[in-house]
This record gives sequence, structure tokens and C-alpha cells, in this order.
Amino acid sequence: MNLLEVANLNKYFSEPVRNQVLNNVGFQVEAGEFVAITGKSGSGKSTLLYLLSTMDTDFDGSIRINGEQMKGKTNRWLAAFRNRHIGFVFQFHYLLPEFTSLENVMLPARKLGAFPADRIEQRAMDLLRLLDVDSQATKRAALLSGGQQQRVAIARALINDPLIVMGDEPTGNLDSANSATVFNLFRELAKERQQTVLVVTHDDDFARRADRRIHMADGKIVEG
Amino acid sequence: MKRRLTNIVLSASIAVTYMKARLRQTLVATVGVAFGITVFIFMVSFIQGTNEYTQDVVFQQSPHLRLYNEVQLADQSLLDRHFPGDVNLVHHQKPKDILLNLKDVNQVLDILQADRRVQAASGAVTTQVFFRLGSSSLNGKINGIDPGMEDKLFDLSGKVIEGSYSEISVKTNSILMGVGLARQLNVKTGDQVLITTEKGGNFPVIVAGIFKTGLTDIDKLQCYASIKTVQKLLGVPASYLTEVKVKLFDKELAPEMSRELQARYNYQGSDWKKDNASLLEGDVLRRMIVYGVAGTILLVAGFGIFNILTMMIYEKMKEIAILKATGFSDSDVRGIFLTQALVIGAVGAVMGLVFGFLISYAVSKVPFHSDVMITLDHLPVSFKLVYYVTGFTFGILTTALSGYLPSRKAAKMDPISILRG
Repeated sequence: MNLLEVANLNKYFSEPVRNQVLNNVGFQVEAGEFVAITGKSGSGKSTLLYLLSTMDTDFDGSIRINGEQMKGKTNRWLAAFRNRHIGFVFQFHYLLPEFTSLENVMLPARKLGAFPADRIEQRAMDLLRLLDVDSQATKRAALLSGGQQQRVAIARALINDPLIVMGDEPTGNLDSANSATVFNLFRELAKERQQTVLVVTHDDDFARRADRRIHMADGKIVEG
Repeated sequence: MKRRLTNIVLSASIAVTYMKARLRQTLVATVGVAFGITVFIFMVSFIQGTNEYTQDVVFQQSPHLRLYNEVQLADQSLLDRHFPGDVNLVHHQKPKDILLNLKDVNQVLDILQADRRVQAASGAVTTQVFFRLGSSSLNGKINGIDPGMEDKLFDLSGKVIEGSYSEISVKTNSILMGVGLARQLNVKTGDQVLITTEKGGNFPVIVAGIFKTGLTDIDKLQCYASIKTVQKLLGVPASYLTEVKVKLFDKELAPEMSRELQARYNYQGSDWKKDNASLLEGDVLRRMIVYGVAGTILLVAGFGIFNILTMMIYEKMKEIAILKATGFSDSDVRGIFLTQALVIGAVGAVMGLVFGFLISYAVSKVPFHSDVMITLDHLPVSFKLVYYVTGFTFGILTTALSGYLPSRKAAKMDPISILRG
């Protein structure tokens, strides 16, 4: 079954002049696939990712995730859907600096509200341990190093067991050792937990080792 | 429902973390609100206290409603009655010589005293006289009263500072004199004064006591005596009364009742609202000033909150984007910032109420002596729950309003433009 179905996707920017960033994009992704989206800057790959993330609702065409149509849903519905089914990792880690690492990881789960606080905390600690940053759990996020922050951010993306993990250059800011750790983790998620991984990257090496590579140019998919 | 609650709790806990991170600014904003509410509570308590005090002094001396007779011009001349429709000219018509007494007044008093709305009703006969002692001769007014009833109406016995109140009811030709008048005539209790009525008769009377109401108009011009004494001065029968004073249980009913009684008994009438119109108008103006000043202070405090939140939102744009990316909806984000405004408002308002009360309480203990307001020994302060409720509502409303705009801005923020850099 296809977890993600994109059809006839068109996207325009009206500023500074109206131009088309995505031109009739369509593809499908199966559950458990590890997909890398590549392309030169300006090719529309990040735009595509943010549309898939459900944060950008201004598009023509159809995006279905897990069978649900994303077009025309309310902000509240989309927020709840993101919270439950999508985990996001950004290039610049973006933790909430006033909160501890543990609190950062727990936040989406507390928002989901499916489990009591002690179980959420237990699970958050497990994830931090998995990513080898459990020693930083009670430190404020602002005090962590870049690599540590990125691993905490990944733990946060995984806390609600999402169907899809999306990443916008998740390794763009990391050294090769940390990059490798992140890549192996994504690999493992896709293979063992059947979680779909969708990553926008510049890193050719990273893209080559993914299950599938979608290459974009001028708003169109040219490969994959 | 439970889901909603956990959402609110989560938003609130994020809000609290943000406020802790900016403790000093939060405190400044809170103190701003507290200051506004403090000033409001203090000013409104003090000004209302003063208003109520002056009203009490005046209203203790003025009945809720009065009935009397007035010399009036006949609006129809005899000619008009005889030749209706013709043009009749009567030049320089003189007022009719009528007796100023109220007709059937004793029956009216009986009926009024039986009325359930009436606390006390008392008849009186009042006349202008001259007080003479040696070469000094002063104009004044002498009120013939029923001492027992008048005491019920105005607590007159409590205002006697020298001599005895009850003496005027047992001794004819004895009077109670206002303290200002007594000073001008240079008389004391037991002295004799000569009274000249407007008809020209002279009567010697004894000063049985001296009273002080605190109202210069009364203290300098008026005397009290029993009804019988004044009737004797005027040479009129025992049924001759010129005024009925009524005290009601609910003074707000006075204007309505005054109209009703005027129509029924064909008397002239007036009520406390009419008699003290300028005083009441002054109270309204003073209250407007209080609300104006407090409103201005709260406006400034509101701008403080607006500033802090706006700055915080610009600083936290990335974090707002993250919250949205991880599944917080626009209204959740709005809740986080609105909660901060409301916490600042609620804490500030409660602090303001407490400080306002403490300052008002302290001021109410400050000794204050005045020649005019003689029954006053401390500054008058009014403590009423309604000021505190108003102050709290006022504070919450201002902060909610000034928090709403920045919160809406945060809610409307587009996460993508921030995340893409």
C-alpha cells in the first residue's frame, strides 16, 4: 500500500513575481521506504517537502498521506495530523532553548496526550538513550553542542512513532561522524520499524545510499 | 473535553517557562498593572468615602422628602373666570394673602406614619425671625419641631454640644441655638434672647442648649424649639404646621412618592435628589475623574504588556515555527501568549487589590480634624466590594486586550518562511 500519494501537484510563488515552483509533480512512496530528494537549489525540492509536511497549504493538486487527503483541511486538523503522523528534523536543529532536552522531546507527546506523563518521560528517555544523548537529558537545550542538539531533535521527531519522518538537510550541519550516525538511524527506522523516511539533501553520498532517490530540476521530477 | 484541558495545561506550562526565562520583564509588567489597580482602588475608595461622608452629613439634616406650601400667583384672575375667552389685562397682580399652613396636616401625618415605606414623618412649623441681644440683631430661622420625632429623623440630640435637648419639649419659650448663631450673639446656655417675629411681636426666650451639625448654613441661621412655642410666637392655632418632613426606608423611592403625595394632598413638595442636585452632580464628576486616571494608568500598563509580548514573539519566531511543525495549532500558539498576558493581568490585578486595600486602610486611620466637618476624626474612606470587583475586571480586560493583538500575530505566523530561512 502506498503511504504517500502525490498527484498533479502545482505550486506558484507570487512574490516578487508570479512563477511556478512545482510543475505537475506526481509520485508514490510505500511504507518503510527511505527516500532522498535531491536537486540544485531552486529546483523546488524544499518547497515539495514543506507541502508534504502539511505546513504549506497553498497548492493545486492532491496530496494523500495514509489515505487522507491533505487539501482543504483546517489548521487544527492538520496540526493534529502532523502531531500524530509526521516527525520533522530540520537543518538547524531548532530546539526550544528554555526547555531541557527531555522536555523538548516530550513536548509533541504531551500535545498528543495519548499517554500519562510518566510513560511519555520513560519513552523520551529511551529515545535519548538510543541516540546516545541521555546524559544531556536534564540540561537546557541551549547548552548542548550542535551534534547533540540535532540528535535531541531527532528524538523529538520520533516520540509519537510517526508514519513519516521528514528531514530538511538533517545532516547539512553535521560532521561526517555525526552524519553517519543519523544516516544509520534513518536506515534502521525504515527497515525495522517500517517508518517512511523522506529526506531533502545536498549530500550525494547520503542520497546514493538511500532506497530511492528523487531528483528534481526546475520544478519537475527528472529521475525517480 | 479532557483533551482540551490537557491542551490548556500544556500551553500554560509553556507560557510559565517563557515567563520564568524573562522574569524581570514579566515582573515589571505585573507591577505596572498592580500600580494601576492600586491607584484605582485607593482613589475610588477615598473619593467615594468623601462623597458618602458629605452626603451623610447633608442628608442627616435633610429629610428624604418634604411637603410644604408656597405663596403662589393665581394663574387665573377673577376676570378670566368671569369672562372666559375675552382678553383680560390685570396689571401688577399681588400674591394672594394665604396662610402657609398645610391643610389637614395631622391626618396626613397619621396616614404617613402608617405607610409601610415611611420610617418616620414629622410635622414642623418654621418662620423667619430676628434674634436680638443688646444692640446686635441677627436674622435667622426658628423651627418648631416635635423633639421626639425630629430626633428619629435627624438624630438631633446627638448634635447638642451644650445644654439639654429634652428641655425644649418640657419648657416653653426655650430654644436650641446653632453654634454659629450663638457665637455671633455671644450667648451661652441659660442666657435670654429676644425674638422679633415678622409681624412685629417681641418674645423673650431662654437658650436651653447649643447644637452643631457641621453645616454652616444651619449652624449660623437656625434654632429649634417645640411646635407649641413657635405657634405661640406666631399667634396661630395648634393645627398650624408649615412643613412635613419624611424619612423613608428606601430613599430612592423619594421622588416618586413626592409626586404621589403632592397630587393627593395638593401640597408643594421636594425630595433629597432635587434639594441636593449640585452635590450629587459633583459626585458623578469626581467618579468620572477617578475612572479617567485609573484608565490612563492601566492603558500605560497595557502598552507595557503589548511591548513585552511583541518583542518576545519576534525573538521566538523560530520556536513558534517549531511548535507548529510538531503539531501545535494556531490557537494553541495563541493560547501560549494569551496565557502570559492573562497571568500578568491576574497576578497584577490581585496585587493591586491587596495594595489598594492596604493603602486605603492606612489612609482611613489618618487623623483628620476640620472645623467644617465636625463629626470627622479620620479621613473618610469607603470599603465596598464593588470597587474591588470593578478593579479586577478592569485589570483583566486591559491585559487581555493588550495581549490579544501580539498573540494573534504569533498565531498567524507562517512557519515555512521562518524554517526555510
